Amino acid sequence: MIRFTQKWRQTRLGLLFIGPWIIGFCAFYLYPFAATFYYAFTRFTGIGNPTFTGLANFNTLIHDPVFRTALFNTFYYTAIEVPVSTAAALGLALLLNMNVRGQAFYRTLFYIPSIVPVIASSMIFVWIFQPSFGIVNSVLSDVHVSGPAWFFSISWSKPSFILLGLWGLGQPMVIYLAALQGVPREMYEVADLEGANAWQRLRKVTIPMISPVILFNVIMSLVLSIQYFTQAQVIENPPGSPGSSTMFFVTYYYQQAFTDLHLGYASAMTFLLFILVLLVTVVLLRTSRRWVHYENEAR
Amino acid sequence: MNYRIFAGLTAAVSAGLLALTACGGPAASTANSGSTGTSGGAVNVTWQTMWSGNTLTLLQQMISQFNATHPGIHVTESNIPSATGDAKLQSEIAAGDAPDVFTEWNPVLGQYAANGEAESLTPYLTGKYAGLKSWLYPIALQGGEYNGGMYALPMGMNSWALYYNKSMLKAAGVSTPPTTLSQLFADQDKEWKISGGKVEQIGFYPLYQQGMEYFDSFFGAVNCFDSGGKYNLANCPGAQAEAQFLASYDKYPYSQVSALESAYGTVAGGDADVFVAGKEGFFMSGPWEGAQNIPVTNSTMSSNFGVIAFPGTVGGPSTFGQGNYNIIPKGAAHPQQAFEFMAWLSGFGNQTFISSMLPKGGWMPTSPSVAAEPAFKSWIGANPWLNVFIEQMSSPLSQTPKLTPTESEFETAEATASEAIAEKTDTWQQALTYIDNQANNATGG
Repeated sequence: MIRFTQKWRQTRLGLLFIGPWIIGFCAFYLYPFAATFYYAFTRFTGIGNPTFTGLANFNTLIHDPVFRTALFNTFYYTAIEVPVSTAAALGLALLLNMNVRGQAFYRTLFYIPSIVPVIASSMIFVWIFQPSFGIVNSVLSDVHVSGPAWFFSISWSKPSFILLGLWGLGQPMVIYLAALQGVPREMYEVADLEGANAWQRLRKVTIPMISPVILFNVIMSLVLSIQYFTQAQVIENPPGSPGSSTMFFVTYYYQQAFTDLHLGYASAMTFLLFILVLLVTVVLLRTSRRWVHYENEAR
Repeated sequence: MNYRIFAGLTAAVSAGLLALTACGGPAASTANSGSTGTSGGAVNVTWQTMWSGNTLTLLQQMISQFNATHPGIHVTESNIPSATGDAKLQSEIAAGDAPDVFTEWNPVLGQYAANGEAESLTPYLTGKYAGLKSWLYPIALQGGEYNGGMYALPMGMNSWALYYNKSMLKAAGVSTPPTTLSQLFADQDKEWKISGGKVEQIGFYPLYQQGMEYFDSFFGAVNCFDSGGKYNLANCPGAQAEAQFLASYDKYPYSQVSALESAYGTVAGGDADVFVAGKEGFFMSGPWEGAQNIPVTNSTMSSNFGVIAFPGTVGGPSTFGQGNYNIIPKGAAHPQQAFEFMAWLSGFGNQTFISSMLPKGGWMPTSPSVAAEPAFKSWIGANPWLNVFIEQMSSPLSQTPKLTPTESEFETAEATASEAIAEKTDTWQQALTYIDNQANNATGG
């Protein structure tokens, strides 16, 4: 009885300490999530009471050409950005893991862009890639290459955003760097003894050893890419231009929710986004069993 | 006191403090909240705008004058970023914390009226305000009406005309500005300079940003509805003529023009553009271009521009009307006083003062009575090019688009369609159909 009372006291104390977090979670995550799920089945402008409309919003979504465009643009961006940024960040980390003179300087140099605020870096990139006055097209014209219109071109707008994303690789790079530091030297020594070359060491030792970190970064990158918004909203005017080529999922959602005040429709879109992200994450986690190796895993 | 009790109390106090901080917030800020009552016997009226920069100074002068001459009402102004202004107002209305007066560009007001978010002004048009509607220019009145009722009052109108660069026209070998659309096309075509894929000088490019929205009225394409009240641009002769006019300019590189326009548009707080920089031959704009943008950003252009009514318009010279309108949001604490302030801002019973303020904002008057005031006539006399703008305000051919609940979607669709024509991803017929579909099937949820 005494042990039960003691345990209950400890539980109560613990709950008291995590109480603020629980309150915050319920107020700012759980409630909005439940409310969004509810509004997805209603017609609601934010004023007055929502009107229940059943699956009407989802039916409209299926037939909405702008929504399909937004899905395609998001898929395009994600399908290219995630593998390219993963490979680039890992490649950078491998290079910065080499014991060369000025290693600390290079690490700092490659990390600094990632701490520049997103909006500031977006505005900088607009000017760097400005077709008429930007430095990139100036350099290209010096080598007799006619630079594209970058953010102002339907064909080049999404690749321009992908390039912008690559500029901020510092954070995943640092995570990969930390993981590389954790690979036991003995593994490489054994590989050397068995006659493995650099490429084989990378494939058979390095990547398997850091695969959990790769999985983490890929999931984070996927989730962020699917929710891509800030840079497109800031750079393109009107958002989604030119020619709807940069109308991403969240850009369209924002337009519906806060410009056109179709909160019910936007909630339906958000709900779909949640399902999409959940599916992608589940698929990735399931398939990761084949290529992710955990240290304590029994085989 | 033992450790466990101390720890428990600490946890409880911390939780309580954190919960209290969540309860504080916007109510503490009187500047952004609805009127909190009286101030020294005067009723507090809150006015929310989305202006910035020099215009705020102008607003403060107007507020000071109103407060000095209306001891029973005290107006305070708060401004919010234009990108989030509408969303903020929705939040305020939903929270029962709306300002008494809100200023917005009139095209979106149909949505507010349709959703019950703007109070009808009709009940206030009695007594000394009975003659207010007939006092306004017709296009000024149109811009604030929804379903036959008045929901918004203008405080400064915008009209549109064609600016031209005198030196560029002369360099192109043209002695007089164009009087027909074909002459305009021919003249501006001589002014383009494109080198190595870069646009260095633009003739005229109606497709960038302005697009269909700003040319509707000149082609008789305003208010193209079918008998059921649905948008029907695809079968509207005016809209078809307008779309074909825009499509005739699709030979010029949209991406490069867009990039150049965007580059100039990001400097000088948005007061600059390619025309102000002296690199565009023709440009559709309002009086603020010559009254504010050019003197502030590039004064060398002050003696190098002229203004004409847009050539070849249906029926004769006209303008496209829009303006800055004031509404009383739903739930405003002091609607009567708010209306009194809004009427004063429009110049009703206040013509002399407002006529001296309008030139500072580069705005057109809301009424011919204001235009007749000495201060305003003096401004026009000192800047004869403004005559084009003021004359079009009175033209019976001038129109302001009818407010609809889906005006926001309609304008977005027009902008997208203009871009599609410019980028040649859609024919002009497909563009019109797209606009109709988007505006008529606007998701209501």
